[in-house]
Amino acid sequence: MKEVGYKFDVIVVGAGPAGSAAAYTLAKKGFKVLLVERGRVPGSKNVFGGRVYADPVGEVFDGLDGAPIHRWVTRERISLVSGGEMSSFEFRGSKRTSFTTYLTELAGWMARKVEEAGGVVLTEITVDGLVVEGGRVTGIRVGDERLTSDVVIDAEGINRLLLERAGLVPKLSVRHTGLGVKEVIKLQRDRLEDLFGLEGDEGMAWLMLGDVTDGLPGGAFLYTNRDSVSLGLVIALGDAVKEVGRHVSRYVEALRLHPLLRRYLRDGRIMEYSAHLVPEYTWPDLPHLLYTDGLLVAGDAAGLLLNLGYNFRGVDFAAYSGYLAARAVERAHEMGGMTSENLAIYRDLLEESFVLRQLRKFRRAPRMRENRRLYGAYPGLVNAIMDQLFNSPYETPKVMEALRRAREGRIGWLEMVRDLLEMVRSV
Amino acid sequence: MMKPMRVDDILNNNVWDVDYEPHIRVDSSKCRECDEKPCLLLCPAQCYTLAGEEVLFSYEGCVECGTCRLVCPNDAVTWNYPVSGRGIHFRFS
Repeated sequence: MKEVGYKFDVIVVGAGPAGSAAAYTLAKKGFKVLLVERGRVPGSKNVFGGRVYADPVGEVFDGLDGAPIHRWVTRERISLVSGGEMSSFEFRGSKRTSFTTYLTELAGWMARKVEEAGGVVLTEITVDGLVVEGGRVTGIRVGDERLTSDVVIDAEGINRLLLERAGLVPKLSVRHTGLGVKEVIKLQRDRLEDLFGLEGDEGMAWLMLGDVTDGLPGGAFLYTNRDSVSLGLVIALGDAVKEVGRHVSRYVEALRLHPLLRRYLRDGRIMEYSAHLVPEYTWPDLPHLLYTDGLLVAGDAAGLLLNLGYNFRGVDFAAYSGYLAARAVERAHEMGGMTSENLAIYRDLLEESFVLRQLRKFRRAPRMRENRRLYGAYPGLVNAIMDQLFNSPYETPKVMEALRRAREGRIGWLEMVRDLLEMVRSV
Repeated sequence: MMKPMRVDDILNNNVWDVDYEPHIRVDSSKCRECDEKPCLLLCPAQCYTLAGEEVLFSYEGCVECGTCRLVCPNDAVTWNYPVSGRGIHFRFS
């Protein structure tokens, strides 16, 4: 194997939100940083659902000054869908907390910040392996060349082939993974704003639960971008393996053609079709690799994503974990080296931050999401109640009467109480 | 007007720089023994199709999500990322 002469302080694998956040933070502090990316340009392999929480990312990247922001989500809609009926809850505010964009654009912007800060960004480099010597990660292997550094920050993404090849983690399991599939559909900007009732740079996030996933645990989403919408769904892969009933692209197709959705999309044109895996670990019950001698792991590769069922947070968790990995490197450097002992500070920093605090707080959410009644019985129940309350030509029932009738054959009282308690405890 | 579309037509909106060599290899002898074949329905790009009893695999339309690697019950899939910037090139995702 050829040794490449130049030695970096830090090699970061993957120019997604986690990798670029780590590289940017360290480059600013004067570390010699190499960021390697397999795509033609940074961002060209990145996929997300559609929204980013701004503050954590802004904390890392200068308040997001100049970032490619499409729309600020001021409109949140959650819908329960069953049998061509839909009950929705909508929140409209004016705060600018999260925004929509293309992750391809945002990741490109982040990587340019790395270069501006003096980091070296190399694209079109697919890393083949980590170099491990005497139990310590000393660099990366690309073809028959190796590059060495004091520490490697692994932000390779959900598939974490490098960690698996190095024998540091077991093979990723379908039980801990969701599959996201989406279409980005072009709409005229003014048409989109009219359809969704948006003004200027306002945006909407719309989550749908129910038979849109054929009863599989998961949910569908629609996000409004500047002049397009991201329409797709996430399904639990462990369940899908056993029960998927049609090709997974047909679920998105059914959304696009859904009688309740097609009016929004009928002038649209598909711009892109993409898919991505989503980590759905139960934290902290499963072993996550966060660090070892000479190595830190950030973002999806470390399973750091929060899925509440009604909301996803991946990009901000990734970027912030990359930022904390960078701070851990800084501290370990002051302490005298990139040993496992010194890098353990990374875990402490994560524990103190919103990242692990949130994952710990919502550790029961993955189990709750497995409850099939959330996707079948409950959307049906709510829609049947609404139907009775609004579609009774002569005699409107009392709410409890409507509930009792809607409940029959769907779900028992005891189950309902149990589910409600579990829901309250989980989310 | 949005019409029903075949997966191929949906995929045609994407941009690839297809690698000369497949980045994924499938051991088709294992597929012959496989009863479940979850790859057929779960590969979002429909890279796995059935011709008679045989699973045919084409890597050209791959969106590099990694699903096939995880869902294959027989570890028939040797999965890599394409090299030299090849493969899918997302622009709006």
